[in-house]
Amino acid sequence: MILSQLFFEFFHIGLLSFGGGYATLPFLYHIAEFKHWYTAKQLTDMIAVSSITPGPVGINVATFAGFKTAGILGSLVATTSIVLPSFILVLIISRLLEQFKQNKYVRSIIYTLKPTGCALLAAVGVDMFVNNTNVLGMFLLLVLFVLSLIEKRDPLFYLGISAVVGILAGLLGFLG
Amino acid sequence: MEKTFYSIFKTFFKVGTLLLGGGYVILPLLQSELVDKKDWIDNEELCEFYALGQSVPGVIAVNMSAFVGYKLLGIRGAIAAMGGIVMPSFIAIVIIARMLDEIVGLKFIQYIFWGVGIGVLMLIFLAVKEMWMKSIVDRYSSWVFFFAFILSACCKVSPGILIVAAIFLGIFRESKRRVDAVKIEDNNEEECL
Repeated sequence: MILSQLFFEFFHIGLLSFGGGYATLPFLYHIAEFKHWYTAKQLTDMIAVSSITPGPVGINVATFAGFKTAGILGSLVATTSIVLPSFILVLIISRLLEQFKQNKYVRSIIYTLKPTGCALLAAVGVDMFVNNTNVLGMFLLLVLFVLSLIEKRDPLFYLGISAVVGILAGLLGFLG
Repeated sequence: MEKTFYSIFKTFFKVGTLLLGGGYVILPLLQSELVDKKDWIDNEELCEFYALGQSVPGVIAVNMSAFVGYKLLGIRGAIAAMGGIVMPSFIAIVIIARMLDEIVGLKFIQYIFWGVGIGVLMLIFLAVKEMWMKSIVDRYSSWVFFFAFILSACCKVSPGILIVAAIFLGIFRESKRRVDAVKIEDNNEEECL
């Protein structure tokens, strides 16, 4: 029962998440809020782990969520279901490549989906910011943001700095 | 090197292992593996698949791998490429997931997670900024962003519903444009008459 629910949830994430990278996060937070398979805090931890382990974050979190819900079988089901829509769509599109690229309806849909995906991710960002960022966090965020304006770097650069700041802040007793 | 199920799987497995900090780095990694080292595909085609990967739902790195795999060896190639790109993260996470609760309990790790959490938030904002620059180009896209943001942030409408609504809106926009175009043509004809 739980496996079919996992299949349904992650298949629909794979089918509907648009904009890559973190586009799966709005869906995953929605699950945390309404399904209670894991908490928002656990999800934030998972995302932190996912960012420092190999592989796309979407896949990592799917594997994680599946494992939390139904063990190793759960992670197998969740990971397979999140990539299954991609597989099906890519097979179809590869055969109709030229039509797909030139179709006006496809273009109009993508044109609408882009700002939607952006808005969904922005909403998650704002939500995370409001719910679990203290003054020190805001300061760190600001510093990282300024650094990114000066020169755009590899994601690991920012994660490395923030991990070090986290350790220092913790050892100095700023994190409670 | 010959394109077989196994060699494609191995190549993408390697790329999957190197894919740290999110899927964005897949393009340069595939360039070095497939274009420079193996000469399986040319750079232009690869960039096109990258763009295509973004116009399909799901994880971009997986979409792109599937496109490239299909190009290399049909359905079998797509399966090999997807399996290869997903496998390293699957293995890594299954190993870590067992220990996560114990690890998270440690004070020291909590400090790191606190920091990395802020770093991730920063990456999310960077992603939003990047998407914003590519997607908010006119009044229409600004309104779409505005409504989607309000409905998602304030009304907690599920992301799936909003995406499906956006798909319908896109279809509606194109149909309306066609109807308008026909109307203009009609008017022109009347004027000619």
